[in-house]
Amino acid sequence: MMHEMALMGDILQLVERDAKARNIKQINKIELVVGELSNALPDALEMAFETFRARELAMLTRQSQLVIRKEEARAKCTVCGYEYHPEVRLSICPECGLPSGKLTAGETFKVKLYEGN
Amino acid sequence: MKINLEEEVLSDNNAAAKFNRDLFEKSKTLVINLMSSPGAGKTTLLEKTVAALRNEYRIGVIEGDLATEKDADRIRKLGAKAVQINTNGGCHLDARMIAKVLPEFNLDEIDILFIENVGNLVCPSGYDLGQNHKVAILSVPEGNDKIPKYPVMFRRTELVVLNKIDLLPYLDFDVDTAVEDLKGINPDSGLIKVSSRTEEGLDEWCQWIKQAYLKCQSQ
Repeated sequence: MMHEMALMGDILQLVERDAKARNIKQINKIELVVGELSNALPDALEMAFETFRARELAMLTRQSQLVIRKEEARAKCTVCGYEYHPEVRLSICPECGLPSGKLTAGETFKVKLYEGN
Repeated sequence: MKINLEEEVLSDNNAAAKFNRDLFEKSKTLVINLMSSPGAGKTTLLEKTVAALRNEYRIGVIEGDLATEKDADRIRKLGAKAVQINTNGGCHLDARMIAKVLPEFNLDEIDILFIENVGNLVCPSGYDLGQNHKVAILSVPEGNDKIPKYPVMFRRTELVVLNKIDLLPYLDFDVDTAVEDLKGINPDSGLIKVSSRTEEGLDEWCQWIKQAYLKCQSQ
């Protein structure tokens, strides 16, 4: 949980810095992309956001919204080309059995956009 | 107004990591970021490592901890320069914290800098500190489930030091399963079996560090 508080602090700092440069006074919405393998938990990010919002920190108002787009993990085998949803042994291609799978999605963790005025 | 920011959440951290990395490259200091669960034996392994290498290399240590100076004191007793970062409850070190304490070292006089991260297999995994190598320490009493449970950590480390192998006869830990799990998550990762207590395997770990040091000098 501490981790997501710190991450939310980073997110709000990025947004606030950009907003200030554009002379935006309040943030109405922030949209994130959170990969399944990014090690950030969407629920904990929501809770952290609520904590900041309740105190109206970082240009947030009580009406500000957080939208989290989850990015599913995907992998592709570099040998046989098979695409799959990686489970625990994520480098093992379920089709040919070789340790030749590479992640193609799931590690993203970014601020996609925000809305403010 | 809608702004398409498209910015990595950790972009500030990554910028600070680059700042650190540039300093390390300039001074040709090998930097190893050690991560593990609490109690895996990071500090004891570091004590043994410092003792084994201190005649050949000038060693510095950054100790990340929730509180207290205890770990840094243990390293200082061996004559190595150690700086403690207390995160005051924070669960990981970030690159800015490292950048802040680097002026306490004269990097030109440090050959190898170890960073002992906060004990935690989740949060530290995402933070680039500017290190050359990320190493995970896993200990036998933690059980076989750690590697499959924390794939993000073990995907991002390039070596696992399996510590406390002197306890293998008494516990259910299966080394072959651990090797298989690790290969499945990170085929490029190595695994070195060590007991800090008996010093078995310590030489192989030190050889790995020496190789990494040579590579770092030739870059």
